[in-house]
Amino acid sequence: MRLRLPAALLAIVGVALLAGPVLGQAQKGADTGKAPASTKGARAPHPNGKKGGILLAMHREDLAQGFSIHETATIATVWPSMPCFNNLVMFDPFKPVESLDTVIPDLAERWSWQDNYRNLVLFLRKNVKWHDGQPFTSKDVKYTFDMVRQAADAQTRLRINPRKDWYANVETIEAADPHTVIFHLKRPQPSLLMMLASGYSPVYPAHVPVAEFRSKCVGTGPFKLKEWRKGEYIEFTRNPDYWAPGRPYLDGIRYVIVKERGTRFAALQAGRLDISFPGEATKPIADQLKASGAKLNFTPVGTNVNDNLIMNIKKPPFDNVKVRRAISLAVDRRAYAKAVHQGGAVAGASMQPKPYGFWGLLEKDLARLPGYGKPEENKAEARKLLAEAGYGPQKRLQVEMGTRAIAIYVDFASFVINELKQVGIEATLKQVETAQWHPLVTRREYQMGANLTGLGIDDPDGNFYENFACGSPRNYTDYCDEQVMKMIDAQSQELDLKKRQPLVAQIQRKLEQDAARPIMGWRLDHFPMAPHVKNLVPHHNIYNYGRMQEVWLDK
Amino acid sequence: MAERAVADTGLEMVRPARPATGGTWASVARFCRKKPLGAAGGALMLVIVVAALFVEPLSTHDPIATDASNTLARPGRDHWLGSDHLGRDIYSRIVHGSRVSLIVGVLSTLLGSVLGGLIGLLSAYFGGKTDLITQRFLDILQGLPLLVLALVMSAALGPAVHNVIIAISVPIIPRAARVIRSSVLSIREMQYIESARALGIRHLRIAFRHVLPNTMGPFIVLATAQLGSAILVEATLSFLGLGVPEPYPSWGRMLSVSAAEYAQKAPWLVLFPGVAISLAVFGSNLLGDALRDTLDPRLRGA
Repeated sequence: MRLRLPAALLAIVGVALLAGPVLGQAQKGADTGKAPASTKGARAPHPNGKKGGILLAMHREDLAQGFSIHETATIATVWPSMPCFNNLVMFDPFKPVESLDTVIPDLAERWSWQDNYRNLVLFLRKNVKWHDGQPFTSKDVKYTFDMVRQAADAQTRLRINPRKDWYANVETIEAADPHTVIFHLKRPQPSLLMMLASGYSPVYPAHVPVAEFRSKCVGTGPFKLKEWRKGEYIEFTRNPDYWAPGRPYLDGIRYVIVKERGTRFAALQAGRLDISFPGEATKPIADQLKASGAKLNFTPVGTNVNDNLIMNIKKPPFDNVKVRRAISLAVDRRAYAKAVHQGGAVAGASMQPKPYGFWGLLEKDLARLPGYGKPEENKAEARKLLAEAGYGPQKRLQVEMGTRAIAIYVDFASFVINELKQVGIEATLKQVETAQWHPLVTRREYQMGANLTGLGIDDPDGNFYENFACGSPRNYTDYCDEQVMKMIDAQSQELDLKKRQPLVAQIQRKLEQDAARPIMGWRLDHFPMAPHVKNLVPHHNIYNYGRMQEVWLDK
Repeated sequence: MAERAVADTGLEMVRPARPATGGTWASVARFCRKKPLGAAGGALMLVIVVAALFVEPLSTHDPIATDASNTLARPGRDHWLGSDHLGRDIYSRIVHGSRVSLIVGVLSTLLGSVLGGLIGLLSAYFGGKTDLITQRFLDILQGLPLLVLALVMSAALGPAVHNVIIAISVPIIPRAARVIRSSVLSIREMQYIESARALGIRHLRIAFRHVLPNTMGPFIVLATAQLGSAILVEATLSFLGLGVPEPYPSWGRMLSVSAAEYAQKAPWLVLFPGVAISLAVFGSNLLGDALRDTLDPRLRGA
């Protein structure tokens, strides 16, 4: 005992000496408000990651909605705004195929499903600061998602709210304490995590009015907005107080706005830009860049963007399913991918085809859908259906097809017009400026349209509720089928993936048979970037890999 | 009565002998000999007119028919001038495009020149405040470059053939008005006009019956000269997506964004429509220059 006492005293002194500076630092940090943010779930820095440098990124147009991701439905806003923000959770930046298994912590360092997937409890990082120095808390999370789902007691409303239907199943959001938030759901919905992980779902600060995001950006993200010179560039600088250890690597990012496509890629080819813009490097462009000998790395990826035909179902003649089916049958999908995209697209129904997506129909299923079999047989059936609907050589069906006045849309429409001509439908093309296009289809002031739909996530909930559910503002065709709605709800709450997959396949087949929004094809991207750009892994979805937190330059 | 009076005096009335022209073909032959460049321009325009009139027999394919198995085909037996990225035949599209170019070119030139000519005629004939106000209005219109004005109008009216014709014809109006006005200013001082006024003939009758026919020379020259620029403006508007809507072929649109994307791989996509536009403009300019030289007495024989 006499021997043990000095040893114990020595141990206490030793521990005090070792722990003193640490405790002192923590105390000091708390006093000055600079306590380190919790980094649980954050990835360790890359062993060879180099700090510094400005990434020169391609950008195709100016920001129509500023940095307000929640008020937009275009990659043109999401791509240059993502570095400013964080989500609650995000898709692993290193895994190109996205699924529930690739969802990783972001502002929520962990989460827990409770009550059989009815309550999602998210535990938030502590001591995270907004770019203006204010602390991030659960109030910001509640504020953001109450605003997006348009809750009755939401503090504010969005001017445009394209993804309200993503959160239709959320009953309430509870800020249990400053660092815990609970999403209470009406019914089980495991896919909610996928929606929260999308680049379309950043957390906004409750203390900054939404309108301000149209000209500035206050987030918690790895980069702070330095300057937005309209029509020229958007520049970000490193956030020195970022919560992830050792991130970001880059000193900054400059998104250079070049409106003309040829000029954009000439700049990339000449080394004036480091990386492409998601979805822009089509196969012909990639082929040209490769042929030019430019030192670029190419990554072929899916985009989760499909070309589709929209028909105004509430008005004749498209209220007749026979006419819609005839139109779907008339367009040869394989020829479409080959001609319009020079092979840079793949055929598929309403979910992105494999291997780019998880839910796409198998080839044998596709072969039985309208537009996929033998073209002549399909066209003969289309003529028959048109005759049954009362149209033929004596009474030709005449339609007006609208589309955006952009080359790739016009090519798409021109191809379809020719296919329709072969079954006796006379279609004329009406080109509309991009700014007019979305309001026009939202107001349903169109008859038929050649349209593009980008899906924020590769998940049936994110797609079906937004684009095919009764009453959704983005359901441009106004397709509404009670049976399909029941099937959509059933797959949404199915917890067993093996049971959910056949349900989703069944819905896809039904949507194509009803020609709800016939899918023409799914675009592919070849995302070129300079060899010195490291850790940027393009995903099979253009919306979810723009954070740039892990990117570094090997110069 | 006058003839009888002459007969009574015993003098024989001598009719001025018309120069022996030898008929239309001889005139054409003489024109070709004297103005070979103008004749070449005329021949080019004739080819385009023939192509525009006989598009169906001259085409080898449906100009809007896509063919996924024949995209970007090289010029050859099946596709004389190759095919585009959707597999459409370039030659047939150029032949059909000639109709669009010619219709838009001719109608917009006629519309602009006739309206401008009328404004110029009335403005110069009546003179005074009418002339002053009209000319200031034309100053404003002429201050805007032809292409800019056409672009604004086309963007406002939307892409359609009749809108393109209006958009191109409006900028021609002030140019036509100025040319005709200058002619009328000198013609209205002529003695025969003074005589007509003294006889009490109404102003509008004088303007249209005695002044207007004498401005036909400058009018024809003006219209021919404007035809080339009208074709060029139509091609530019189509190139910018404001011209004749797809899928109907137009030379300008054939040069547009998609073609530029494939130009390195398939240069025939931009080469042949470009050549067609160049030849049409070149032809109309050569013809216009030759007509000006022929119809203007000061330059005749120069």
